[in-house]
Amino acid sequence: MLQVVSACSNDPYPSDDQTRKVLYRAFPEAPKTLDPAVAYTTSAHAITGNIYEGLLEYDYVARPYQLVPALATGVPEAVSAPDGTIRYHFELRPGVRYADDACFELSESESSKSESSHSEIPDSPGSTPTTRSVTTRDLEFSFQRLADPAVASPIAQNFAKIRGFRQFSANLEQRRERDASFAARPPHEQYALVGGIEGVHLLNELELDLVLDAPYPQLLYWLAMPFTAPVPWEAVAYYDGEEGRPHFRDHPVGTGPFVLTRYNKQALMVLEQNPRWREWPQPAPGHIAPLGPRAGSRLPFIERVEYRREKEAIPAFGKFLQGYYDGSAIIEESFDRVIQEDQLSSDMAERGMRLEKSVEPGIYYLGFNMDDPVVGAPAGERGRKLRQAMSLVIDIDELSRLFLNGRGVPANSPVPPGLFGYDPEYRNPYREVDVERAKQLLIEAGYPGGIDAETGRPLKLGFDTPDTTSTAQLRSQFHIDAWRSIGIDVELRATTYNQFQEKMRNGAFQLFRWGWIADYPDPENFLFLLESSNGRTRSGGPNTANFSNAEYDALFAEMKDRPNDERRGELIREMQSILERERPWIELYHPEDYSLVSPWLENVKPFGMSYPMLKYYDIDPDERARLRAEWNQPIVWPAYALAGLSVLIVVPGIFTFFRERV
Amino acid sequence: MWAYVVRRLLYGFITVLGVLFLLFLLFFTVANPEDIARKAVGEKASPEVYAQWLENHGYDRPLFVNPEYPTSSLARYTDTLLASHYHDMLTFDFGRSDADDTPISARLREGALPSLLLTFPVFLGGLLFSIALSLLIALFRDTYIDRMAVVLCVAAMSIATLLYIIFGQFLIGKVLRWFPISGFSGDPAVVWRFLALPVMIGILASLGPDIRFYRTIFLEEAHRDYVRTARAKGCGEGSLMANHILRNAMLPILTRVVTTIPFLFVGSLLSENFFGIPGLGALTVEAINGNDFSTLRTMVYIGALLFIGAQILTDVTYTIADPRVRLG
Repeated sequence: MLQVVSACSNDPYPSDDQTRKVLYRAFPEAPKTLDPAVAYTTSAHAITGNIYEGLLEYDYVARPYQLVPALATGVPEAVSAPDGTIRYHFELRPGVRYADDACFELSESESSKSESSHSEIPDSPGSTPTTRSVTTRDLEFSFQRLADPAVASPIAQNFAKIRGFRQFSANLEQRRERDASFAARPPHEQYALVGGIEGVHLLNELELDLVLDAPYPQLLYWLAMPFTAPVPWEAVAYYDGEEGRPHFRDHPVGTGPFVLTRYNKQALMVLEQNPRWREWPQPAPGHIAPLGPRAGSRLPFIERVEYRREKEAIPAFGKFLQGYYDGSAIIEESFDRVIQEDQLSSDMAERGMRLEKSVEPGIYYLGFNMDDPVVGAPAGERGRKLRQAMSLVIDIDELSRLFLNGRGVPANSPVPPGLFGYDPEYRNPYREVDVERAKQLLIEAGYPGGIDAETGRPLKLGFDTPDTTSTAQLRSQFHIDAWRSIGIDVELRATTYNQFQEKMRNGAFQLFRWGWIADYPDPENFLFLLESSNGRTRSGGPNTANFSNAEYDALFAEMKDRPNDERRGELIREMQSILERERPWIELYHPEDYSLVSPWLENVKPFGMSYPMLKYYDIDPDERARLRAEWNQPIVWPAYALAGLSVLIVVPGIFTFFRERV
Repeated sequence: MWAYVVRRLLYGFITVLGVLFLLFLLFFTVANPEDIARKAVGEKASPEVYAQWLENHGYDRPLFVNPEYPTSSLARYTDTLLASHYHDMLTFDFGRSDADDTPISARLREGALPSLLLTFPVFLGGLLFSIALSLLIALFRDTYIDRMAVVLCVAAMSIATLLYIIFGQFLIGKVLRWFPISGFSGDPAVVWRFLALPVMIGILASLGPDIRFYRTIFLEEAHRDYVRTARAKGCGEGSLMANHILRNAMLPILTRVVTTIPFLFVGSLLSENFFGIPGLGALTVEAINGNDFSTLRTMVYIGALLFIGAQILTDVTYTIADPRVRLG
């Protein structure tokens, strides 16, 4: 044992990688799918976002978030036509190729038979093709896949304003039901036979127009996510999960800066540089301090990214502290040791660790069921005053101190910082703690001291949460105690997530706690959470509070498709004032992410949304090797001490035994 | 004996049918298929997408009776979720994971080896250490070593496995830096470095209850007449322990060992999760957290089969260990 221990080290990686630019990251949850049309989780986007590229992306450093061209040559302006349609014109960068992949051999063998619909010519005639150029047909194919009901894209409804999108979907479904031989064909052939989506108008190999039936400026944000990234039809046809081939959802083929070279969801996922990826313009020098000197260099800087499965946060954080992961979130158990007075502890600072703070585009809130006869709209002015009173006693600063380690920006409205419409000066009068006013409002509502003046009975409300853990129960108790301070008796109903969902669907709740993280940085993506057509019990939509207010709906309808101009700001302010008065939500906080970055990792800027950031990251492998060696010298003496102790215990025992028994 | 085995197999079959039915009830009546879809597709998808997912995965069919067929038709009962659930399980057609559509049989194949690499050394090491130490303690019975061992065993039994894991990772991985805190490698040359810590912790965590158990058995045997006779005939204490007491204590040891062996394949839920070992235990935990009905039912089904198989195997091994035992 002593020999084994003296030869040991805690380094989990091969020594050859010490001097290479390999980024190590932990992943707690495996992606369910890497099909860009379907993948919708952070864990999946961490991979798809670096393998696929859309027409647009976000500026890595600009805040508020700003769209910039990716595969497109520019960010298009919406052009209105006299018939009411909206047109976006896109031009693809020339010479963009897919990463090398075996599926492109199919392109050659099938190019003759599918020439009418897909007439790509192999890029290297005479030899087996391993890639080909991206054309607008690939984008068309991606939009068709989004519309395909069999693909079941979770965001398909967001593209419904593209002319003919729903029609294409319906035609495809009908044809499949009618004709089994049609349904057996590969998807690209089916799409070609059904006819394209009318609003995806190909002008030539590099230009296309998207035609919308109605304004929908948020479409551009969706184009900056991997959902509409060009996908080669060959990959979808070839990777069908048959005859030992993987399924397309497990074998991505894109145009991005990285390719997936290993995909073991249970243990290890490896991304490596895509040699086909082109030069990429850098942000302006000085735009982000560490990137300045490298402006103009070829991206990506890192050679390989290794995602290693760590289902539990404690061992992952331990390995980060040893230098075996290059970045980490801060676990609850170590927060006080790492962060002191909202800064890195001296120990962490001495190790050269950096703290990156960023407010995520999201919100957590307590909601009222506005359909409920006691707390909701049917209770009229009584209900409104009750909601206002309950809002006035929730102390977000105390909540943040007790449960969030001080992280989180107090929320006054649904719109989070960093988005158009967020006003840092705005203070919601019902989000400032005022117990006396809350008591007064309760009296006005007919519940003096929490007793219903009409019946003489105490007011008793139910508070539903989908979390039965002790921490969650403590947090819920914090709210319950606050309401009890003005005499309102609230019963906690902590259930499983499934039961909670069931209650939400059926409207069988009064109060609940919930949250929302944005898909794209637009106030519409928050304010629609209170629009009546999205009511949970009515339509299964995300308006879980079932808030229904005609004035709010009208303002939302005008606001949602407007550019970020003064009028839009006014509309948002008016909507905020309705929410302020009506109180369907008690806004809690916008989540704030604290992440730690190792000293050797450079060019890191937290983003808050799914984004292909890895291409900007850089690593100093020599510094990493030096610090790892310094931090991880094995301590061997306890092994010798243990051996000595064992001898000390056993030897007298043996003597005793022989003296007494033998 | 064969009649006994066949009878036990039949009882086992009925038990498995019951287990499968309970599992079905739990998943489809307490929860509902839409919850599985929601977890798989994501919270923000539209109802149409959930419906499509249910259709793609065959969960859109009725649970027990299909009203689309006439009352006299057998298909009324066979074209249902319950019937296909039984059919799939009994024909070992495990299908695809509800979470990510991976073929479950492939997952089982991939996960069995990492699980065995962890559980087998823990089992074997635990068995050897605990039997050897219990024999030693029984040898030193009524001395301070015995008393100290009992106290230590009770203390060790009182500590939760999770604590062993967290403390072991902290002490050996983080403070002493002997082995990686967690991780796994498919490379046979280096995999031992990742397994050393979980195996050490696994053995250590099993020692408390095992030593107590085996010590009790050995002490019980040590007071029997044949031991006194052997001692009177001049048999040495060491030889007595190894040749007489150990051999006669085989029956309870076998019971414990044989019922454990089949479960080595299903892995260790906690250790695999904390040490990042991609085995079947970790897969089960993931299936529970991810509402992955198809994977979970496979794991429960395999668990039930192994349990029944192990019990029959234990009974059969009794007859080998003790010729006086007859199965009938």
